[in-house]
Amino acid sequence: MASPILHRELVSILRTRRMLVFQCLLIFLFAALVIVRWPTEPRVALSGARPQQVFRLFGYGLLTTLLLVLPVFPASNIVREKNRGTLALLLNTPLGAWRIYVGKLMGVLGLAGILLSLSLPAAAACYALGGPSLTGEFPRVYAVLALAAFQYAALGLCISTFSNSIDGAVRITYAFVLMLSVISLGPHQFFQGSEGYLADWSEELRCLSPFSALMSILGAGDLAGKGLMSTTNVPGRFAVLSLVITAVCSVCTVLRLNHRIFDRARPQGRISDDQDLKVRAFRRLMFLVDPQRRARGIGPLVNPVMVKEFRCRRFGRLSWLLRLIAACAVLSLALTYATTMGTLEWDVETIGGIMVFMQVALLVLITPSLAAGLISGERESGGWPLLQMTTLSVPRIVWGKLLSVILTLLLVLCATLPGYLVMVYIKSELRFQVERVVICLAATAVFAMLLSAALGSLFRRTASATAAAYAALLAVCAGPLLIWLGRDAPFGRGAVEWALIVNPVAAALSVIRTQGFQEYDLIPGNWWFLGIASTAALIVLIAQTWRISKPQ
Amino acid sequence: MQSERPVVILDHLTKRYGTIAALDDLTLTMHAGQIVGLIGPNGAGKTTAIKILVGLIRPTSGTASIAGVDCVREARKIKGLVGYMPDQFGSYDNMRVWEYLDFFGAAFGIPRRARTKRIGEILETTGTAYMKDRFVESLSHGMQQRVGVARTLLHDPQVLILDEPANGLDPQARIEMRELLLRLAQLGKTLLVTSHILPDLSRICDRVGILIQGRLRAFGTIDQIGRQLSQERTVEVHLTRADQVAAAAEIIRRAIEARSQIVEATAEEVVRFRTAMPEAALGKLLAQLVQGGIQVTQFREEHTDLEEAYMSFARPSETKPELAVAAGGGGHG
Repeated sequence: MASPILHRELVSILRTRRMLVFQCLLIFLFAALVIVRWPTEPRVALSGARPQQVFRLFGYGLLTTLLLVLPVFPASNIVREKNRGTLALLLNTPLGAWRIYVGKLMGVLGLAGILLSLSLPAAAACYALGGPSLTGEFPRVYAVLALAAFQYAALGLCISTFSNSIDGAVRITYAFVLMLSVISLGPHQFFQGSEGYLADWSEELRCLSPFSALMSILGAGDLAGKGLMSTTNVPGRFAVLSLVITAVCSVCTVLRLNHRIFDRARPQGRISDDQDLKVRAFRRLMFLVDPQRRARGIGPLVNPVMVKEFRCRRFGRLSWLLRLIAACAVLSLALTYATTMGTLEWDVETIGGIMVFMQVALLVLITPSLAAGLISGERESGGWPLLQMTTLSVPRIVWGKLLSVILTLLLVLCATLPGYLVMVYIKSELRFQVERVVICLAATAVFAMLLSAALGSLFRRTASATAAAYAALLAVCAGPLLIWLGRDAPFGRGAVEWALIVNPVAAALSVIRTQGFQEYDLIPGNWWFLGIASTAALIVLIAQTWRISKPQ
Repeated sequence: MQSERPVVILDHLTKRYGTIAALDDLTLTMHAGQIVGLIGPNGAGKTTAIKILVGLIRPTSGTASIAGVDCVREARKIKGLVGYMPDQFGSYDNMRVWEYLDFFGAAFGIPRRARTKRIGEILETTGTAYMKDRFVESLSHGMQQRVGVARTLLHDPQVLILDEPANGLDPQARIEMRELLLRLAQLGKTLLVTSHILPDLSRICDRVGILIQGRLRAFGTIDQIGRQLSQERTVEVHLTRADQVAAAAEIIRRAIEARSQIVEATAEEVVRFRTAMPEAALGKLLAQLVQGGIQVTQFREEHTDLEEAYMSFARPSETKPELAVAAGGGGHG
């Protein structure tokens, strides 16, 4: 291979047993998709509609797989090398920053290329049956997938240069991927068909998402579309935007790849209590709860593990929690304000839909980062044997850790509740729906927390735990929506409803009667699923914690 | 501060992983107030022995107890008796030293007021008071090791078990760590320390155990180990005049065994020789030298170096006898 870095990056990933299993699984899944949806009647085969539907679903599935699997590799790449000290060795070689960067980028793209090429036999089957055209949809779909892979690889590498820990890099990268690919679609669903700067802005925003480009190429229309024709060249705009983002990220990464990446003074641990009165007063005013004040001892009735979790998490400190809650509260009240000001254009259900969607997105975004590393973080940092040597029991350790997540999620959810109260005040008959939505959100939070914690406890490294938790949660929250996209064709109503039963987003949206979801009856089936899955996850978490805390 | 009361007892301790014996029939006793060092190459079983003692690993056979409490069956009680510092520090992000100690103090169930006082005391004892507001992850390795020792002292344990406390420290930090361990022994703590840095151990340990491939090959004071390693000892005779070196060597040659080696260092005004003669015979030899008109300033045994003793056991080609020393705490493997 041309570059030694490319050789090392690609071969080291492909050597792992996990990657081999994943590749086999992917081939099996694609083959299964084609077999399951293969036309059985000659009349259908001639029309080519069924292969077209399969190819559409296949494209979304492939993009989702890329988004779930790919970001973890670039995100962990540079920060891992930095922490292990091998980046310093690389920078000391005659390889320049550009060659190092290109080697790393090509390594990730090589992996993406392998994943995409694994899908070619299944895609060829769709083509052979008269589905996608070889000069139209076929290359355009793969071009969008390649651009998405290119963009997210560059983004992940860029974030990796700014991070100090692998799990932090993975978390931030997934957050960006989720925002760029899914959340960017949100505003358009509510502003489409309207006029004004918000509508224009949401139209531009949705072009950031590869899903949007894919939908446009495959002729599926918009997510929860209202049947309006769009004149925007979405794939073209996506191509331009993704290339711009890739270029910006690449330049930024290369500029960071030098000795200055290590040039960071150790924090001196300055304490506000030791500063003069003016500084103390200023910090008191600016922070409300000063993160640099001297902490008091842990109280007698408080679980020390919970306090430890809050203290050692950057966003666990009260100052950060207050900011998060304030942002949630402001957003919630802004949406409520929009409800009261725009009742003629938007109904309360639309606003409720936005709120539910944003809340679930927030939960999916922050819960794995809070819960996945609860046990694996201790094992990785060497803190687990120290905890074992204390007189704390295993249930108390687990409870303390879960409590730190529960309280954070509770605060976040509570901060968004005022919006619902105003909705009920405006339209009192919504009370029953709002109550059920709140139950849905609480169940989603518990499920996301326990799933992330249980999955995370199976890993020794926080980065792997966080990636696995994000992948599992996104698979549950985004996977069934792919089936929903193929509603009526190729999937029938029954199949879609069955798939959506496991999806907490769909359940909450169906309760609030959001367009596209109101015809599905997902409650209490979804609650049963979340309850059983959460119980199973709790059992796994306790059993695994018990196992690792016993003398070997 | 040492007493005859046995505190740590390892009795025929064995730990097997499949066919590999990580620890093979280890028997060892430590008395209160002693500093005992365990040395051995990587994979010798030092950490395994320590982890069994603190209840993190279950032995395949044999027993281990601390202050009469069984380390396997009563692992919960052991936590109160032992302060354990693993070879990995175990730091938490965004936590200051005081908060770190406060957390572990609370985890041991120490009430808040007593905890605050205790943290103040141990920060003073370990010389870490000045870093109490620093972030744990931003400390240097040497500082972290001292904070690690401070953490082990929080619940005032009888026994401190420190796995490689001097590993990776710079010379100054090593000296400070050595002084800290001696201070803790003066406070009445019993210390079990593993290390690769043999000069450090030889300076602070009352007893040393040499562990090779899971077996305790020697245990005792460094001199006891050295003496059992070889029946011969090296004696140095320091003179005042260089012209008397040859005459002194001649007197010595007549007195000691025929095949013994004698080195005449005229420039240093020293004669060195190796002998298996008992103490009384050496006394007579000194008298002969003085009677022969040799002006002797020093007549002393050269102490065995711990490195020398360790290397003689660690060399795989040599088969050395296994030694057992029982004076003031003993063991055999």
